[in-house]
Amino acid sequence: MELENDNYSTHISQQFNEELEKIRTQMLTMGGIVERQVTDAVEALLNGDVELAEQSRRIDQQTNEMELMIDEQCTTTIARRQPAASDLRLIVSISRAVSDLERIGDEATRICKMAIELADSGANQRGFQEVRHIGNLVRDMVKDVLTAFARNDLEMAYSVAKQDRNVDQEYRTAMRSLVTYMMEDARAISNVLNVIWALRSLERIGDHARNLAEHLIYQVSGTDVRHQSLKQIKRAVRDESDDGIEDNDEQ
Amino acid sequence: MTSEAKTHAIDISSMQRDDRQLNLADEEITLQVKDLRLSYGDKEALHGINMDIPKNRVTAFIGPSGCGKSTLLRCFNRMNDLVDSCNITGQILLDDNNIYDRTVNVADLRRRVGMVFQKPNPFPKSIYENVAYGLRIQGINKKRVIDETVEWALRSAALWDEVKDRLHESALGMSGGQQQRLVIARTVAVKPEVLLLDEPASALDPISTLKIEELIHELKDDFTIVIVTHNMQQAARVSDYTAFMYMGDLIEFGATDALFTNPEKKQTEDYITGRYG
Repeated sequence: MELENDNYSTHISQQFNEELEKIRTQMLTMGGIVERQVTDAVEALLNGDVELAEQSRRIDQQTNEMELMIDEQCTTTIARRQPAASDLRLIVSISRAVSDLERIGDEATRICKMAIELADSGANQRGFQEVRHIGNLVRDMVKDVLTAFARNDLEMAYSVAKQDRNVDQEYRTAMRSLVTYMMEDARAISNVLNVIWALRSLERIGDHARNLAEHLIYQVSGTDVRHQSLKQIKRAVRDESDDGIEDNDEQ
Repeated sequence: MTSEAKTHAIDISSMQRDDRQLNLADEEITLQVKDLRLSYGDKEALHGINMDIPKNRVTAFIGPSGCGKSTLLRCFNRMNDLVDSCNITGQILLDDNNIYDRTVNVADLRRRVGMVFQKPNPFPKSIYENVAYGLRIQGINKKRVIDETVEWALRSAALWDEVKDRLHESALGMSGGQQQRLVIARTVAVKPEVLLLDEPASALDPISTLKIEELIHELKDDFTIVIVTHNMQQAARVSDYTAFMYMGDLIEFGATDALFTNPEKKQTEDYITGRYG
């Protein structure tokens, strides 16, 4: 059964409505903070802004705590209310989602660390172009998947999952050119490695954003699309929404 | 590489739940309901029910009060015959024979389709005589046969160990949960094919309820079980298949796992998640 947007406020138990709505709101709030972490981390790295990097790292403490808090509320709600069907899927999906969000926060923190190490070497390093480009891509993925969560928008979730493939592609391309550069100039290896770690973190953030999209698809459609191909994901999404998605995006 | 991967592959098939892939289409069917309509006077209570009850499975009926689930359950052993104003059309086939056929002996039908009610109703006799009652009615008098069957039935109902030393004491001295298991023993003693349970645990405490649920799980190897329950979590716990009824219609019927995680109909979703219908 498909979820509707205002579906959390129709239980006979008003208290249950409030619990679910609270968990959902808190997850989205946490998402907002994590999205900020990603943006700040990339900015800090590109601009050599140590202060911003330090600030962003401190925020990670908060997202860690939020993960624990939200997860505990999910456990409590399962124990006390025995949610079924879409309510159960909502809880399970959010419990998984906060874990992915927390890891996105961790990856952002890793990027901040690289930003601090790279700060002394000045701006416009080799590879910064790639960081900017991939950073923009994954930041948009995180932003979009959170919007999709807020709206229960499966098509948007699907486009995020699809975008992950582009990020992987860009990551491989960047890796090739940075390896070439290291071979040409051994003195740059240590700096370029830091950039590579940052890129790696961005690529992982893309993976987590795709996971988030998959959790949402499960929550709304009831189909578990983890470890499935894009094609299978598209089918699950299409089964759910009659209007479907344009066909021209298969490889 | 491939062959090496194969030899090192871990067999995860044992992690699959064996009842995970339940599918009505693969089941042997014990009871077949065909366009069953039932009315009390001029008020129709069941509006044409069609469903197949699978053999050696637990099928749960859920739905709000007055949805017709108990009425439907009672149709399976013609308990509604006792209601004067009750009028039934359609068919219920038990192993392909219509139980509403004129030639059917109702007493015989009720031996094949036993029923347990909400409130335990032991007879004011000894524990032993309660279980032996159905056998005596059938004209079985050999003490050895009765002794054996009583023990078997009490063991089946997970009651033997608790009562074996006081078989000849009054059944009315037992606790509610024990009485309910005694009634189940009495019902299974005559070896019915189908066991109908109408809210069998609603008058019991949580531990007795769990014992009844465990019993249901064990009995399904020998019997086809149909249970009516108001307690949705109970339906989710004990049943293989769940039917959701609403206002005299069968709204959705399918594997319990699917129905409780991803129901197809909005009405089912609303009911099991506790929303306004």
